[in-house]
Amino acid sequence: MKYIDEPAKLQQEILKKTYSLALIPLIYSLIRGEFATLLGFIFGLLIATLIFRLRLIQIERALDMQEKKASTFIRNRYFIEYIIYFVVLFVARKNPSVNFLAAAVGLFFVKLTVIGLVMIDIIKGSLEKKLESYR
Amino acid sequence: MVSFSPEVVDSIIRTASLIGAGLAVIAGIGPGIGMGYAAGAATEAVRRQPEARGAIITTMLLGQVISGSTGIYSLVIAIFLIFSG
Repeated sequence: MKYIDEPAKLQQEILKKTYSLALIPLIYSLIRGEFATLLGFIFGLLIATLIFRLRLIQIERALDMQEKKASTFIRNRYFIEYIIYFVVLFVARKNPSVNFLAAAVGLFFVKLTVIGLVMIDIIKGSLEKKLESYR
Repeated sequence: MVSFSPEVVDSIIRTASLIGAGLAVIAGIGPGIGMGYAAGAATEAVRRQPEARGAIITTMLLGQVISGSTGIYSLVIAIFLIFSG
């Protein structure tokens, strides 16, 4: 993967790709006039982006701690994030002007991009290996 | 055969869906414990090999992002159960 030694740059790259991919559902829902879906998706995506950025800061802080303290720190932070996810989904479900499923997809979108990038990397690697074996 | 009134059936369904929601939320605890273990191992790895800090952070970041998604799955199911019951 590109920028494997520079997590901040990799994070920016992932976020750029996430937002460029997110344009497809955003434009689609805008054209169809589904504003609840649009709002839900933007809501989920913004929270996912902020949590993704927060996670890098937390990991950098945790690596300077003792082993046990770092473990507890990351675990506690995860549970705080879990509560934030719950609040986001609950608000999306309660509010009729925000689509619940779109908010859930927005929360997943960063993860989907990461999985997609890793899959592309694996496929590229295996294709390069095959090409080298033919030479 | 025992027959229940519609109110009783409704309350049974409501109770069962709330219990299901509670059980679904328990699924979110696993990733937290796993992430904690990973963080502990990563600090040990950085102490042993400080020059690999960037690569360790990247691997941990991507791993945590992926493992955190199971928690969201469980929350989605739980909220569906809470509101549909």
